[in-house]
Amino acid sequence: MKNFTMGSLAAIVALAVGAAGYLGLGFANVGADAKPPIWEAVLMNSSVHASVRREAPKVQNSGVATDEILIAGGKLYLNDCVGCHGAPGKPASAFGATFYPPAPQFFLIGTQYSEAQVFWVAKHGIRRTGMFPEGRYYTDTELWTLSAFVTRSATLSPIVMKGMQQPPE
Amino acid sequence: MIAALACGSVGYLRLGLAEVRADMNTPTWEGQLVKFAVQASVRRNAAELHNPPPPTDENLIAGGKLYLGGCAGCHGKPGKPPDNLPGYLSPRQFFQAGTQYSEPELFWIVKHGIRNTGMSAYGPFYSDQQIWTLAAFVKRVNNLPPTLLEGIRAKR
Repeated sequence: MKNFTMGSLAAIVALAVGAAGYLGLGFANVGADAKPPIWEAVLMNSSVHASVRREAPKVQNSGVATDEILIAGGKLYLNDCVGCHGAPGKPASAFGATFYPPAPQFFLIGTQYSEAQVFWVAKHGIRRTGMFPEGRYYTDTELWTLSAFVTRSATLSPIVMKGMQQPPE
Repeated sequence: MIAALACGSVGYLRLGLAEVRADMNTPTWEGQLVKFAVQASVRRNAAELHNPPPPTDENLIAGGKLYLGGCAGCHGKPGKPPDNLPGYLSPRQFFQAGTQYSEPELFWIVKHGIRNTGMSAYGPFYSDQQIWTLAAFVKRVNNLPPTLLEGIRAKR
């Protein structure tokens, strides 16, 4: 037992020293212009999703997603999200692709997050990504319209698509 | 022992116990560790880069114009109060805090970005020559004559 304990401690110390040396000598690649390796993407995505699932509000949405709500959310989206997350009917955002991890392109891949989860992510942001906490700038009501819009980005009606492009009155 | 650590970590992550929200302050230990690793890596990668262009007024104004177009939204504008945001995305406010990075290091960061931060890679959008002028500007951001700052704001 004593040998096991000493061996374990030695292994942990060796790992810590090795990690510190690796980082301190600058061997960790920090450039953002690479694609995250699959193992990293899978581990990150599943961990972030699990955490958001735990933290997001239990209430699943703001109510009925009327055209009015979706248009309001779409206008917010075009104002603040489109630069990184892509525009409807357009190819993927070149700017969003230059982040590490890259910004998900909602109009190409949709989202696996529920409305309440999208609300939570938009409000609080995701650390260690380019996703900023928008709760600083928008009210909860506004963020609920945004999450209603984003979770339906693949199935928006022509009325909503047209309405969101109209300039504010 | 190592297997137990690995299993524990994966379980912790999969159960969603890792905090991911960005709107709270970075713990000091995490901030220091990341800074330590990022600075070392940038230093190593930028070591091969030489010959930044001379800091002529022309180059600094060109860099300053790029800065206002692509960087000022997050990193601050000349003569404006800093946007010191609490939380994980708190980009360096150059007009107050300056920078410890050298010109080749700044060039490398702008071109390649820093992963797992909000700093994206600008290599796809700007030429090397443009990025060098930007690095020259950012390095001297707190020692610029007022006439030069006016030149940056002037329309071409």
